[in-house]
Amino acid sequence: MGDEGIFEQLKQSIVDQDEDAVLEAVNKALADGVDPKTIIDKGLLPGLNVIGEQFENEDIFLPELMQAAKAFQAAMAILEPKIKEAGGDGQKKGIIVLGTVKGDLHSIGKNILKLLFETSGFEVHDLGIDVDLFKFIDKAGEVNADIIAISALLTTTLIGQRDVIDALKDQGTREKYKVIVGGGATTEEWADTIGADGWAGTAYEAVNLANRLVS
Amino acid sequence: MRYTELLTQAEVKRTHEASLEVLETVGILAHYAGAREVFKKHGCHVDESTGLVKFPADVVEKYVAMAPSSFTFRGRDPQFDRTIPDDGPIVVTGSSAPNVVDPVTNVERRATSTDIANIAHLINELPGFDIFSISTLADDAPAGQFSLSRFYPALKNCLKPVRSNTPNMDDLRQVVELGELIAGGKGAYAERPIINHHYCPMVSPLTMDVDSTEAVMWLTERGLPVYTTVVPNAGLTAPMTMMGCLVVGNAEFLAITAFQQMVREHTPVIYASLPTVADMRTGAYAPGAIETGILLAGQAQLARFYDVPAGGYIGLTNAHSNDAQSGFETGMNTVLGVSAGATLLNMGGLFSSLMAFDFAKAVVDNEIALMDKRVYRGLEFSEDNLALDQIAAIGPGGSYMGSKHTKQRMKTTAVLPKLAARDMRAQWEGAGRPDIHVRALAEARRILSQPNPAVWDAGLDATIRDHFAGLVAGDATPLEALEE
Repeated sequence: MGDEGIFEQLKQSIVDQDEDAVLEAVNKALADGVDPKTIIDKGLLPGLNVIGEQFENEDIFLPELMQAAKAFQAAMAILEPKIKEAGGDGQKKGIIVLGTVKGDLHSIGKNILKLLFETSGFEVHDLGIDVDLFKFIDKAGEVNADIIAISALLTTTLIGQRDVIDALKDQGTREKYKVIVGGGATTEEWADTIGADGWAGTAYEAVNLANRLVS
Repeated sequence: MRYTELLTQAEVKRTHEASLEVLETVGILAHYAGAREVFKKHGCHVDESTGLVKFPADVVEKYVAMAPSSFTFRGRDPQFDRTIPDDGPIVVTGSSAPNVVDPVTNVERRATSTDIANIAHLINELPGFDIFSISTLADDAPAGQFSLSRFYPALKNCLKPVRSNTPNMDDLRQVVELGELIAGGKGAYAERPIINHHYCPMVSPLTMDVDSTEAVMWLTERGLPVYTTVVPNAGLTAPMTMMGCLVVGNAEFLAITAFQQMVREHTPVIYASLPTVADMRTGAYAPGAIETGILLAGQAQLARFYDVPAGGYIGLTNAHSNDAQSGFETGMNTVLGVSAGATLLNMGGLFSSLMAFDFAKAVVDNEIALMDKRVYRGLEFSEDNLALDQIAAIGPGGSYMGSKHTKQRMKTTAVLPKLAARDMRAQWEGAGRPDIHVRALAEARRILSQPNPAVWDAGLDATIRDHFAGLVAGDATPLEALEE
């Protein structure tokens, strides 16, 4: 315990985007009796911070960012149950309902966003693609969501984002949620026009946006 | 890759025969007596009263067949040596503009040796460029050092091969002397001649001049690297048809190539040209016109028929700023050239039909050059590249974004442009709507604010400056410093 070397190893394995090395380091730390929460805070998250900086500087590209996030997720699959077992609540930053609007079958951008939201400590309920507007609203009520995040790639399906916001207004529940929109067909101006709470051009920026909205 | 071919094989052969017919019946006017002597000795019919040389077809074919299939450019650092066609396409700056667009005031003015030093530094750093053809003249050249004032700052600040011309024999000898000093002696220079000479001895239509012809002969005799460019201009110096222009240029190429082989057999050559169609509304010179690309594509096909490397001045522009015209003229013509198999592109940095160098244009052209090189790589067909394993592994509805296969290839499959906008409009507006000129000039400034690792050591510099008294300083300067 208290061996700084293991934290450096955890951090480096994330920076190297090496899932096998991450799992090896996590198992080693657990065997040494390091607390799961400490593994995350002192090993894995500092690694993700480095990855985030490298991505912003274009030292690494999106596929590399995703590999690091996937490696982190694999570690969390081991660590989360242990935190819960020990009575920790696995405290989340916020709850997000996510999906692609009705009529739109594009999922890649949304899936990248899901991975980054989860890596950043959000609880994500992914409704998938071609999502009916009431499914967004019902799910948000059911899980008591903080944020509804709606993706659209096609210019022809864009109005589905406005439909969700309008329906929330009709039901008188608009103020319960922050609604954010994104996807290839969207712009900041569009987000303003439909009365969304935020817009982001990339998945990475969307995480920063969500952090701001729940803080 | 299969090259774009505009002519059938039969048409290529007929063009060759037509060019032989021109040389045999019309002939070449050779103004330099030394050249006429060479032609006479090797089986051509020379009329000394007119200077007209007529070439029997078998003589032309015999000597042109001696030309090797490759040409090598050498730089101060051998890692930058380039041989075409195998290392092609190689990209060369445009050369010998009298003016520069001042990077601070954006006003055109006479270029100086300091500009050349800065351009050399910039070209040394830009990865799309392979050869630095000295972009401008030097208005501050001391008397008797017209060419030295260009080659000295160029060679001092650039490890890549440097290429240019000289106006007379005194300048040429001086420049070769400079090369020998850099190499550390005559013997070492003969082994690795790092100055790459270029001339246009053929003056269209069908004429050979005195000064350039003499320089080409002198260099060829010594086995020093030199190549020539033919410059037919349809409507003015060639017939107003694409094929007529091609035939005049081809006859000129055959004549100068036969000449070089007569002087020294198996001398490396390049089939280089700058073919244009004049704008007959005014007679304006139009190197940026699309016809240049079409003609160069035809000429690349002829070069393959002769088994020699092909290229030339392609991608020049008539535009006066980094506007859409500048982009489409450079882009469209060079794409035509590389897709037709040209491996030498003399394209970078000049505005106004070769009249002025612009720092931002050079940076834009660097990016176009990287795209041209990507075009030349084509689709890279291979069983491995069909990626069937990947397609099966990812399956319907999956994403290739996270796979190792993607990660391993994401920096090589596509060009990653530094200047071309790929962000959203909002981000561009947030940055103050910078156009391509603004983005490119910022990159030029960034590069020129760094120290230049290419500059040679103080000892060599002292030797050179001792040898040539009164030489210009030849040092690159950050562009900010020019503002003061």
